[in-house]
Amino acid sequence: MEPILSVKDLSVSFNAFAGTVHAVRDVNFDLMKGETLAIVGESGSGKSVTIKAILGILAKNGHIDSGSIMYQGEDMVKYKEKDFYKIRGKRISLVFQDPLSALNPIMKIGKQISEALILSGSIEKSKAKQRAIELMEAVGIPNAAERYEAYPFQFSGGMRQRIVIAIALACNPEILICDEPTTALDVTIQARILELINDMKRERDLSVIFITHDLGVVANIADRVCVMYAGRIVEVGTCEDIFYRPAHPYTWALLSAMPDLHTEETLYAIPGAPPNMLHPPKGDAFAARNKYAMKIDFEKEPPYFKISDTHYAATWLLHPDAPKVEMPDILKHRIARMREEAERG
Amino acid sequence: MAKYIMQRILAMLVTLFIIVTIGFMVIRLMPGGIFDDAVDMSYEQRAALEAKYNLDKPIPVQYAMFLKGLVLEGDWGTSLKMYVNVPVWDVIKTKIPVTLYINFFSLLISLPLGIVLGIVAAIRKNTMTDYLISFLVVIFISVPSFIFATLLQYFVAFKAGLFPIIYDATAVGWDKFYCLTLPILALSLGPIARVTRYLRAELAETINSDFMLLAKTKGLTERQATINHGIRNSMLPLMNIIVPMFTSIMGGSLVIETIFSIPGMGGIMVKSINAPDYTVTLATLIFYSVVSLVTVLIVDLSYGIVDPRVRMGGKK
Amino acid sequence: MAKFYSSDVPEYKVDKEQFEFVQLKGDIADAAFQDKPIGFFKDAMLRFCRSKVSIVAFVGIVVILFMAIFMPMTSRWNYNDQDLNRINLPPKMPVLENVGILDGTRWLTNRRVDSLEDTTRYPEGSILKVINYRKVQGVDMCDIKVDYYKYCGLEDGTYFWMGTDYLGRDLWVRMWRGARVSLAIAFISVVCNVFIGIVYGSIAGYYGGKIDMIMMRITEIIGAFPEIVVVTLFILFFGTGMLSIILCLVVQNWIGTARMIRSQFYRYKGSEYVLAARTLGVKDMALIFRHILPNSIGPIITRAMIAIPGAIFTESFLAYIGLGIRAPESSIGVLLSQGQKIMQQYPNQVFFPAVVISLLMIAFNMLSNGLRDAFDPTQRGA
Repeated sequence: MEPILSVKDLSVSFNAFAGTVHAVRDVNFDLMKGETLAIVGESGSGKSVTIKAILGILAKNGHIDSGSIMYQGEDMVKYKEKDFYKIRGKRISLVFQDPLSALNPIMKIGKQISEALILSGSIEKSKAKQRAIELMEAVGIPNAAERYEAYPFQFSGGMRQRIVIAIALACNPEILICDEPTTALDVTIQARILELINDMKRERDLSVIFITHDLGVVANIADRVCVMYAGRIVEVGTCEDIFYRPAHPYTWALLSAMPDLHTEETLYAIPGAPPNMLHPPKGDAFAARNKYAMKIDFEKEPPYFKISDTHYAATWLLHPDAPKVEMPDILKHRIARMREEAERG
Repeated sequence: MAKYIMQRILAMLVTLFIIVTIGFMVIRLMPGGIFDDAVDMSYEQRAALEAKYNLDKPIPVQYAMFLKGLVLEGDWGTSLKMYVNVPVWDVIKTKIPVTLYINFFSLLISLPLGIVLGIVAAIRKNTMTDYLISFLVVIFISVPSFIFATLLQYFVAFKAGLFPIIYDATAVGWDKFYCLTLPILALSLGPIARVTRYLRAELAETINSDFMLLAKTKGLTERQATINHGIRNSMLPLMNIIVPMFTSIMGGSLVIETIFSIPGMGGIMVKSINAPDYTVTLATLIFYSVVSLVTVLIVDLSYGIVDPRVRMGGKK
Repeated sequence: MAKFYSSDVPEYKVDKEQFEFVQLKGDIADAAFQDKPIGFFKDAMLRFCRSKVSIVAFVGIVVILFMAIFMPMTSRWNYNDQDLNRINLPPKMPVLENVGILDGTRWLTNRRVDSLEDTTRYPEGSILKVINYRKVQGVDMCDIKVDYYKYCGLEDGTYFWMGTDYLGRDLWVRMWRGARVSLAIAFISVVCNVFIGIVYGSIAGYYGGKIDMIMMRITEIIGAFPEIVVVTLFILFFGTGMLSIILCLVVQNWIGTARMIRSQFYRYKGSEYVLAARTLGVKDMALIFRHILPNSIGPIITRAMIAIPGAIFTESFLAYIGLGIRAPESSIGVLLSQGQKIMQQYPNQVFFPAVVISLLMIAFNMLSNGLRDAFDPTQRGA
């Protein structure tokens, strides 16, 4: 099956006063039609920058150093503003993290939804309002017809995010990119929004890229997962691969650090802090914080080792000559528990 | 909403009352009597004069009489020094229109010009156009309006002869505007610069905000996003500077009127302070206070109307 | 390039010893900071110095201050030396006169040709050029250019860099004395405003509640008065003069600073690090002086710098309309208004004060822009 969107060897950097920040380094991933791809990582790992590069909305001091983004047979890296105009909203849409700041505070929300429709020229003004109301109903906003005239500050956080989703879906895009859409919301609302995204995906046959730092969210909705660290993808696989058979020490660390009700051992916290991307470290970027780091990790960057057709990880631990290391106990127990629960129902 | 309006109007009236009271008190309580430096007169003559102007009565009574006369009969008192025995109202009524004319037109041109320049500067931020506009803005904000008036008068009117040097009181209609072009221009340069700078800053900030990004990602072109979202949102805070701008125009007009020999309220006020002719001074002070407070009121109320968050009582 | 492992790639052949664990046992420490931390002010100063405009403005102000302080003392004339023999002289400067500007000459029009010989009217050597010969009503007339200094019978070597005014006073000295007066008024009033503002705002912000409410009401009432009215009333009551003007400038302008300090207090009262410090037992006074106020210094300085040109403007404005400093004392406003009256005949008398006040205001505005950007680069992306 051909991927619908294909990112190859993408590198993005920013010109800061102190120097050049290498935010994204040689990132590769494919998005298949109809799947939900999750990109997981800490703050500063480069997840948001990647998708901003895809949509051409990088900050003024950012630029794509190398790589290609293939969509519909064209390389989007070469796109000019007018080319992006045909893509944004209409083929690829973005859902933001903070719905409060994403919506224009002094414009009625109905207008904000229908604006996308009207200005793309695909529909006339009179029909646009009707479509917007339908859309509002579809995302679960009660009293849609009345609420059309309301302002963002009159809605709760969850409702606002629904509006943002409605705006994103207005022109029927093919690909929906969600940049941590639930981070700013209460936990109870999070579940509803995730459900909504799944429903929309089914109804409209979307392909979704979902960015988050929360593994719990990933487990809920992702088909495949990419784990990012310091601007690189360190592990990629199906949801099962990543949760049941994690291979990279960073993935182990992430999974171990999730608190849950049953953990009896000491809670695990990843020591240290993400590296300064002004001076990317030599070798494996995670080495300094990695309990299982070996000498080679500080010298050379590990290539991707194939674990299965769907599962790859970039860690020297998978080298045939490397010592065999087992995942930490806390993680083993957790995975065992997860399997039990999955089997139970 | 109506309650809000009533509250503001009430507050304004209270402030006005306080101003008038303080003004009256200050003037009456000034060291030295009103007729101190008049020609020698006998004791009886002075007493008679004082009785005529009610100056022998206790101050609160004088004030009450003044208020009564003002509010009920529109009687502002009579001029004591400059135009003896002429009612103050007659003295000032011919001056008010000219002053309002200049101030009003100044405000009228400053806003649109400032907005346009501000938008251009923000859109072309950090290009030559922006630098040029910003440079001019600094100059126009810094150099006082009366310097510009002097310069304009010297170079444009005197040397180049394009506009009249001083104001001709008999001009009407288009001629009048032509005569007043230089004063209005001198008054407006500062405010235009202020509006430009403010709008440029607001728009530049708005352009960087999240909802502009959303506008772009939902498929709007830069231009559509800037017009529909950026500009609308930046105009709102403009309300904040209209009042200071107007105050500076009003203040500036005092000097400009002197430079161009325009017979307006400014000139009268200065003369009446130097004369001294206190009834006239008080009248001019009341005039300026009323104009000031009314402007503040209008801006306050419009803010409530234009910003939906205030209008509907939402949290900001 | 995304590299995939394959056993044939020579790069990926690794020696056994490279697979030794480095930090398997024991804790991993946080990496040391690579950059050295800089203090807040040093950081701001660095940013300030990066802007050439700000440096130029700063230098300009220093120069003008220097002139204002020292020039009146070093000149041979006092600011009030009058001499009717040398009224309204054009400016003359030593070096520039050779280039043709500021050379102390002036055009006199409509002179009778036969009067040119008369040495009591036109002393030896004073006529430099004669043009425009014409006959008016049968009499030969012409225009002449004179060395005005010789014309007035002044000895060689007398220089008035900016000329003299209608009473023969040296404008150069008057200019800088005027600058001194204006700047003094501006600085004193701004300092008073800042001081009052800090104290008032601190009290209101610290205590909060009812005290705060009353204090804010008072500021609203004082602030509601139109400036012109307040200023006029003060002048009427206290008369003109430096003290009176300083009072005028102070009576309303402390309100902005007070409001700002108060809002700083509110912001930090609830902030976590203040809460934490309190829990640890830090006394309130210490909190105020070591945490809250230092955070406000940036905006305070910026506001003060912006207020100075405003004060200079108000002072000149008042002097101009006759309500401020009056003759014979000189201030920039006095010079401007005196010069403006005879602008058409002797433009130099209004030109120099106009240039100086404009430069002063521009410099202060640019300086405050630079300071604002230096202290808070996040604000107003200019």
